[in-house]
Amino acid sequence: MTRTADTLLEEIQGPTPGQMLRKRVFGHQGLLFGVAVLGLLLLVAIFAPLLAPHDPYAQDLLARMQPPVFLGGSWEHPLGTDHLGRDYLSRLIYGARISLLIGGFAALISGLIGTAMGVAAGYFGGRVDMAVTFLINVRLAMPVVLVALAIVAVFGGSLQVVILVLGFLLWDRFAVVMRSSTLQVRSREYVTAAQAIGCSTSRVILSEIMPNIVNNLIVVVTLEMAHAILLEAALSFLGLGVQPPTPSWGLMVSEGKQMMLFEPWLVAIPGITLFVLVLAINLLGDGLRDVTAPENRS
Amino acid sequence: MKSLSLKCGVAALALMVAGAAHAGKSDDTLNVAFTKELENVDSYFNSSREGVVLQRAVWDGLVYRDPVTNEYKGNLATSWEWIDDLTLEFKLREGVKFHNGEEFDADDVVYTVNYVADEKNGAKTQRNVNWMKSAEKVDKYTVRISLKKPFPAAIEFLSGPVSIYPNEYYAEAGPTGMGLKPVGTGPYKVTEVEPGKHFVLEKYEGYHDSPKGQPKVGKIDIRTIPDVNTQMAELFSGSLDLIWQVPADQAGKLGAMEQFTVANESTMRIGYLTLDAAGRTGEKNPFTDVRVRRAVAHAVNREALVAALLKGKSKVISTACFPSQFGCFQDVANYEYDPEKAKALLAEAGYPDGFETDYYAYRDREYAEAISSFLNAVGIKTNFHMLQYSALRELRMKGGTPVSFQTWGSYSINDASAITSQFFKFGSLDDSRDEEVRDWLDVADSATDPEKRKEYYAKALTKIADQAYWVPMFSYNTNYVFTNEVSYTPTPDEVLRFVDMSWN
Repeated sequence: MTRTADTLLEEIQGPTPGQMLRKRVFGHQGLLFGVAVLGLLLLVAIFAPLLAPHDPYAQDLLARMQPPVFLGGSWEHPLGTDHLGRDYLSRLIYGARISLLIGGFAALISGLIGTAMGVAAGYFGGRVDMAVTFLINVRLAMPVVLVALAIVAVFGGSLQVVILVLGFLLWDRFAVVMRSSTLQVRSREYVTAAQAIGCSTSRVILSEIMPNIVNNLIVVVTLEMAHAILLEAALSFLGLGVQPPTPSWGLMVSEGKQMMLFEPWLVAIPGITLFVLVLAINLLGDGLRDVTAPENRS
Repeated sequence: MKSLSLKCGVAALALMVAGAAHAGKSDDTLNVAFTKELENVDSYFNSSREGVVLQRAVWDGLVYRDPVTNEYKGNLATSWEWIDDLTLEFKLREGVKFHNGEEFDADDVVYTVNYVADEKNGAKTQRNVNWMKSAEKVDKYTVRISLKKPFPAAIEFLSGPVSIYPNEYYAEAGPTGMGLKPVGTGPYKVTEVEPGKHFVLEKYEGYHDSPKGQPKVGKIDIRTIPDVNTQMAELFSGSLDLIWQVPADQAGKLGAMEQFTVANESTMRIGYLTLDAAGRTGEKNPFTDVRVRRAVAHAVNREALVAALLKGKSKVISTACFPSQFGCFQDVANYEYDPEKAKALLAEAGYPDGFETDYYAYRDREYAEAISSFLNAVGIKTNFHMLQYSALRELRMKGGTPVSFQTWGSYSINDASAITSQFFKFGSLDDSRDEEVRDWLDVADSATDPEKRKEYYAKALTKIADQAYWVPMFSYNTNYVFTNEVSYTPTPDEVLRFVDMSWN
């Protein structure tokens, strides 16, 4: 076996940081699973009109509750039809849009609110910190589901209302995590150095602090996204989320509930899909944390 | 495959509820489930179907309407006659005793009528009783009831919601006491009341010779179980013997199983869309245009709704009342399913691309959703709002709704005045506000000549259909599912009659 200069160098220096990252990523099965499932569902959601075999709103009362193909149904409706004869697979595909839309936007809104508050509190400390901590405590004292139910009951359920309600309710974890991460980073030498050479506050925050706490942010984003998707399903299940005929997985579970004893697949199919999506997002978040956390970098 | 998974599911459920008391024929106790809980057992102070069921079991009225022949028979009264348009005289049955031993006589009738007719006492459904002015005793077994104004449906109401209470006991106990420890003359006496949980009824041995017949089942145990799936699970496990108001799909599945009997009967409840013809939600509301209303009527495939969703004895209806009701004229404009015509009518009315509207419903989300899909298909885009009954009722009273899916059961009163007159006489739930219709209904409601009543109801109903103020959809049915040990033939008025039940 002949050694080239390159391999020799590699043996001496060890792998480059990029190679190490790649190794950690590909060695992490949970992360891979999460990325694969979430990526697939994203594609499904984006290309829903091309993928769905039928119009998810077209009802056919003569073909109600046909079983899915693995329970003796036909390939015309691979996952069967619902209580109004609408194609279950098409509704499931369009439902992915609703879930991801709500998860994504709710996490975005709450992320912006929570991060701004948390970083401000951690960086400035003092009165700002006291005010933010007070707000976080107020927010933590309110049960999310109850408040969401009350607001939706007053304003009526719709996609926009659900996104806004969840966005304005789920920022607490962002604020808590970002605040403590900022506190840790604030007194580091490079921050002090930046301050000493006269960088503006926004520059210190954006280019010195943020890059060093963004891995925590990503984890919280995934957690809250999963949380928002589950809450949307719960609200829709209770009839207060998105309104019919919009296909939502929670709504599908709710509609199938009546027939649960005789046609359990009506509940099982959207239930399993929801489970897989939330699991994938959580695994993705977990994996990202493992891969990016400093203690694993050595 | 399917039947196997079904059996497994059933077995698992049976295991889940194992340990619950297994009752039935062996201990002469019929276990029944109610879906809703009652506000009060006192029948004048609740308005639910379950209340009507208990009322018919525990109390008696002066008159009884045979649910099969619709013939009026004496119950607590033996005969009656109209003295004039405003006075009815009753000869009462002798020897009847209340469950607590109190003797039944004219004083009980006088007390009950005077109590419930007085608005201050707050009987829940005023229209059931507010047509009576007062009652007076002639002698111990003769009584006269005076009316506020001529009211031809008096006998129908006396055979239904007006039941006679024991004067001495009611004076002392009042509605609250009556609700907790009900006393009547009916075929069953109440032995246990746990509000929201369960009621126990026992056969009244001294029941008089009533046209209701004699009770056969010894004990009825009624439990409140809100969830239909739980009810079915308990039926499988044997801790329930009879459930009712079972949705059509589940009833179909249960009917295929050997150990259960499924009986289907129509009810007096009808489903309809009410359209904002009077423009209460705004002058420019599209539904103020008769062409738009007719388009709605043409857009919905009511035959398909009945065949696929309601099933059973439900029928497509075209009039704003239930067909068996007195005065419910049937020969009115019928709008067949024709989406193309609906689109053409919309275009003619200035909405070639349709329009967007708020659409409300409070029950039967499945039906409401199916109807909204039909409307969407012709271009009427609906924003679906599912509200609680009380919330929707309040909304409609305050400012109306452009279009909402409503149902009305007429309290099982077999007379068009219980529905058409209820909604088309400028009440707060009247969405059409048509003076001509109101005036015709006024005549029909108070005329004593049956032919004249029929004529004016026909006029009103014809105009309602012609103008499509309502889009009547279908009549409801209800499924009764019971074990093969039970023998029961339901009646078309949605009243569960324990007195007609027996063991096989």
